[in-house]
Amino acid sequence: MGRPVVPRRGRAGHREVVAVSRREAAGGGAESRDSEPPDAPVDRERDARPPTAAVVASLVAGAGAALSAFLAAPLGGALVGLATVALLAGSLRRSPRILSWAAGIGVVGIAVAGYRRGAVEPLLAAGVALALAWDLADHGVSLGEQAGREARTRRNVAVHAGTTLLAGGLSVAVVYGAYLAAAGNQPVAALALLLFGAVALASAVR
Amino acid sequence: MSVETADGDDSGDDAPGAAAESREDGRTERTPLRRSETARWDGIAGVALALVGIGVVARRPGLVLTGAVGVGYVVYARIGEAREATVEIDRTVSDDAPSPGDEVTVTVRARNVGGAALPDLRLVDGVPPGLEVVDGPARIATALRPGATAAFEYTVRASRGEHEWEPTRAITRDAAGSRERTTALATPTRIVCTPELSAGGDLPLRGLTTIYHGRVPTDVGGAGVEFHATREYRRGDPLKRIDWNRRARTGELATLELREERAATVVLLIDARESAYAAAEPDADTAVEASVEAAGQAFTALLDGGDRVGIAALGPRDCWLSPGAGTAHAARGRETLATDPALAPTPSEGRFYRSLWLRRFRRRLPADAQVLFFTPLLDDSAASLARRIDAHGHLVTVCSPDVTAADTPGTRLVAFERRERLRELRGSGIRVVEWGDRSFPVAVARATGRWSR
Repeated sequence: MGRPVVPRRGRAGHREVVAVSRREAAGGGAESRDSEPPDAPVDRERDARPPTAAVVASLVAGAGAALSAFLAAPLGGALVGLATVALLAGSLRRSPRILSWAAGIGVVGIAVAGYRRGAVEPLLAAGVALALAWDLADHGVSLGEQAGREARTRRNVAVHAGTTLLAGGLSVAVVYGAYLAAAGNQPVAALALLLFGAVALASAVR
Repeated sequence: MSVETADGDDSGDDAPGAAAESREDGRTERTPLRRSETARWDGIAGVALALVGIGVVARRPGLVLTGAVGVGYVVYARIGEAREATVEIDRTVSDDAPSPGDEVTVTVRARNVGGAALPDLRLVDGVPPGLEVVDGPARIATALRPGATAAFEYTVRASRGEHEWEPTRAITRDAAGSRERTTALATPTRIVCTPELSAGGDLPLRGLTTIYHGRVPTDVGGAGVEFHATREYRRGDPLKRIDWNRRARTGELATLELREERAATVVLLIDARESAYAAAEPDADTAVEASVEAAGQAFTALLDGGDRVGIAALGPRDCWLSPGAGTAHAARGRETLATDPALAPTPSEGRFYRSLWLRRFRRRLPADAQVLFFTPLLDDSAASLARRIDAHGHLVTVCSPDVTAADTPGTRLVAFERRERLRELRGSGIRVVEWGDRSFPVAVARATGRWSR
């Protein structure tokens, strides 16, 4: 969108340096744009950071995940809390890669909490909340890239959060319902096989 | 639909053109551009299966269940398809013929005319490159049910020229955001911004004139006001030009010759190559803007003085208004300076071939035309072009807006090189007017003091 001030192409012998713009030449933007990755395009029309609503909602969901995991097992809760902080860092640096690493830390935290014999219900809640937190953070980064921080995005974020939460809720309902109804006293392997059967059936139907 | 259309028409004092455009509801042209996978849920299946595996091996039902929920997300990411953005765009501008610098509010209404909901829709409006958005991003991210409407507005600052909106880009994603599709939504909207030409001061021309009577003093003796020479009396010379003092002193008849004042033909040549689109600061007007403004002042001043004035652009796109006079010509000149695509506020596409351009320019240029060359002089080819046109007998006056800055070694070097070019041009006998912060008429008035005729 920016107007090219400096010509990009030219004939042989064509001078390249033309009235270089002050802001870029002096590097004066460095202090205000510390958090930007160096390859981020300088866009003067808009602020490409993720929208506040997405970041805040992601933080809330992350805090919920940490709390649930903490109730299951304190060490797992600490790891999920760390994941939440990493999610915030990824949002601020607009880096999906950091967000993926953060989600990985969170999954490890949940695995640890489950391994330390955490209760089933808080574990499920932590899983859904962690998925929501990562999803909103990643969605926010893509919104920031494509629409910018100042654009109206609240409805979009709310709808996206709602559908992801709905998907998680439905999965939990199915899984937890199966767990309560059929597998209350069965060995774990039987439970896994039952769920595997359900998944196979679902993909066959699709 | 009717509600939206009525809204568009209600917005009041729009010119008929704008109202007609907003009535074109249903004319948004959709072009599918690109489909892609966002790959954001990649790896979720692996994570889910790993959790189930750990749960089975370590006999932890909680982990198995959490992994199974992860499988639910795998299904969530797979189902759903990013639909084409079945959206009608209705764009209303508050003023479709603004003056330069006016702020124009643009209201965009997007309505989902398809049968399915769009859970994730991002719209990026195609603001013309010559307009600057001064308030609010021209973008929105929303979700639209079938028949629902989202509206957003932003403000652009009008600049000289004719600005056509480019297609709006719509990016849709499925609910999980794993697939993405881009669609271009073309809705024609146009604003035309024509500045008033302010009259400049008196612009001194060089001594290349037509045979018509005007106001440029020449070296031709004849009728006029300024003394030129005396010569022998010839029968038929008017009585009031006889040198009676000499007659009284010596008894011979002699005739006074006065400088004839004639009209000139002037072509205003504006440098609009890509290199001329330079400014001292990112926000400042480019040299082309300054040149066009000054050319407008010169155009009015010269036309008022009875000279014949034409307009040409030095750039990849062709622009030529042959010299003329009169009210209709003044209107055509104003139109050319304001909206000709060759003088647009952003660089034209295409390559510029100097020798081809020069050949065509010389063929068009009347033999008695002189040239006012508006260029920032940021490269050698502008200076050498001025010398070549001058050498072909069309006397050249270079009018150069100064857009160089002086805050880094690079910009200081550019400024120095430009000063050298000015010095060389002056050395080879070409008149140069240079203006930076001062206005063009002031610079002309200062420079005129130095020039001999």
